[in-house]
Amino acid sequence: MDFNLTPSQTAFRDTVRAFLAEKLPKDIQTVVRGQGHLNKEQFQRWHGILAAKGWSTPLWPLEYGGTGWSPIEYAIFDEECYAHGAPRVLPFSVSMLGPVLINFGSEEQKAKFLPGIQDGSDWWCQGFSEPGAGSDLASLKTTAVRDGDEYVINGQKTWTTLGQHADWIFCLVRTDPKAPKPQMGISFILVRMDAPGVEIRPIITLDGGHEVNEVWFTDVRVPADYLVGEENKGWNYAKFLLQNERIGIAGIGVSKNELNALKRLAASEKKNGQPLIEDSNFKAKIAEVEIELRALDITNKRMLVATERGTDPGPVSSMLKIRGSEIAQRIYELKMEASGLYALPYQPNAGDASWNDELIGSLMNAKSSPVYLNTRKISIFGGSNEIQRSIISKMVLGF
Amino acid sequence: MNFDFSEEQKMLVQSLERTLAKTYDFETYRAQLADKATHAPELWNSLAELGIMAMPLPESAGGFDGNHVDVMVVCTELGRRLVPEPYVSNVVLAAYILEATGCTDKLEAIAVGETKYAAGFYEPGERHNPLALGTTATQDGDAYTLTGHKAVVLGADTADHLIISADAGGASLFLVPADAEGVTLRKYPLLDGRGAADVVLDGAKGTLIGSAGNAADIIEAAVDRAAAALCADTIGAVEEARDLTQEYLKTRTQFGRPIGSFQVLAHRMVDLLVEYEQMKSIAMEAAVEARNQDAATRMRAVSAAKAKIGAASRLYGQETIQMHGGIGMTDEYALGAYVKRMLVNETLFGDTDYHLTRFANT
Repeated sequence: MDFNLTPSQTAFRDTVRAFLAEKLPKDIQTVVRGQGHLNKEQFQRWHGILAAKGWSTPLWPLEYGGTGWSPIEYAIFDEECYAHGAPRVLPFSVSMLGPVLINFGSEEQKAKFLPGIQDGSDWWCQGFSEPGAGSDLASLKTTAVRDGDEYVINGQKTWTTLGQHADWIFCLVRTDPKAPKPQMGISFILVRMDAPGVEIRPIITLDGGHEVNEVWFTDVRVPADYLVGEENKGWNYAKFLLQNERIGIAGIGVSKNELNALKRLAASEKKNGQPLIEDSNFKAKIAEVEIELRALDITNKRMLVATERGTDPGPVSSMLKIRGSEIAQRIYELKMEASGLYALPYQPNAGDASWNDELIGSLMNAKSSPVYLNTRKISIFGGSNEIQRSIISKMVLGF
Repeated sequence: MNFDFSEEQKMLVQSLERTLAKTYDFETYRAQLADKATHAPELWNSLAELGIMAMPLPESAGGFDGNHVDVMVVCTELGRRLVPEPYVSNVVLAAYILEATGCTDKLEAIAVGETKYAAGFYEPGERHNPLALGTTATQDGDAYTLTGHKAVVLGADTADHLIISADAGGASLFLVPADAEGVTLRKYPLLDGRGAADVVLDGAKGTLIGSAGNAADIIEAAVDRAAAALCADTIGAVEEARDLTQEYLKTRTQFGRPIGSFQVLAHRMVDLLVEYEQMKSIAMEAAVEARNQDAATRMRAVSAAKAKIGAASRLYGQETIQMHGGIGMTDEYALGAYVKRMLVNETLFGDTDYHLTRFANT
């Protein structure tokens, strides 16, 4: 048993650190550190910088432009990015669609779409959830009907993250409404966001942010070439795609960074004239979540090392999702508590590049409540924590 | 980075499992408890023959120079089988103090299971601080005279010799034969059947070991080793309680279906499985760091584990009894024994509050 990084892992970490120190643009780091919203240009600029280094699609197979990093190395990269205030590349194109195209797409689709994913020039969003299909995703109703060499799509998708920036959307659609099981009549198809009949409407979340959207499809015609894999096999591809979320699912990097921020915040806030971090009650709250994170860091690494060896880690990734989201939410909650009264002024866009108002309280105070509210989502998206518990109990208890 | 036990460690577990499966099942444990026997010489000797007493001791004293991950492996099995023998108090805690104070000549008798020591630091009214000393030692020629009261000293009921901390111009350590004049032992079994005693010293003669006034670091290091060992012991108990509960949820039927098919129970079981992985991870770290030369690194790792495992094992006890329903309340069903094992481990060598505070302040 040995908890230390190997010499080559330490060298890798130093390489990542040097790269981030040299290449991360200041304006982007400032927004990330201040927990503001990055604009489209900032997202794409950073994606381009990573692509130029060959690091935008690290987990892809080597022949498609992956880096060959081990899961542990990827986790090191992830942690260092958070520690430096570097944005994480959005998962939709790189982590979700890319592997599906590589495994199930046609050669034409790979040639057409993979380069734009790799360099970040094409912005993809995800069209899975619908108003009536959340945790029960297979009950989705958006239809695609074959008409010559086109499909005609009608229906509505929702919770489309950053769809307002997107050039493309990858969708699950129902192609066989009469299939014996709902999962068997679903296909995976790619749609241009500027196609006639596609309409996008913002959803403003309770933190005041515009991150998610509704996307409506009215007689949208899509070339049949944009169907991925076989018709009615889309559910298999979606399951494959969701499995790829395993690495990084515990959110160790973000939580470590947020914990450090919480400690800095608690050191700068006062209670009875003393730093809040000296208050025994608040100190114990921090210690509890810090210990939980320390344990999860090890649990996560145990899973990564097992994955590296090709051992099936079983339901551990669902466990990591559950506990990782609980820990992150607890830290955000404590940052809001630590901010006290100055968590209350409504300043949802503080910290954005385009925001020029005079700040009330500190920036960390101002962001604490919007971020607390916004991150209630992390125990809901990607399969809610209750769905994760059901996945585990199915595997372990058989029910 | 490697989270596996070594081949040697796996073999040690196997031989320990084999021996205990043969000689120490749940019914044997219950019979021993009914007799209020906290120590069974035959079992003790068979454990010594397996080499687990010698294992953590230095080679120079007839030991195998084992590390604390080896200790973890052994203690997990002892917890799993509810073995009440005074292993941690003697081989992990007292033996380390003898080693650290230069009494290495005494270790060989521990390695072969011949002599048993127990170490008393904690005092009534002082709760969990091992350095709060009300016991005094006054010099009297070559010897010291000890007066004071040590609370719930693990293993003291069956020990041949006691190691006592006392104030002799600062924390100091003394060796006292258990049957010495001026030593009164009030012996009792703990909740789970392990043995302990309150030790009252009234002018008892003790031999100083180590240097007078400088024992604080040794005491803290010794307590950390014992705390890490009890974390591992709890892991063994938790694994058994977990398996019993999982099996019960699959087989117990009510309203015509297995109760595990009720989501309210299934999800609670899953939460316990998550807790188990977290406990195991942090117990592993405590084992790896329990002997770290850097005291702050050692204390943070051990306190993180003791605090996390203390709180999570309390939850385990409550939840596994609740999910079993009435059967979980009975003495003849093994679950309760595991719950009591966890409770004892939770409170010895610093409870959750103590370690949470120490983690936050280190």
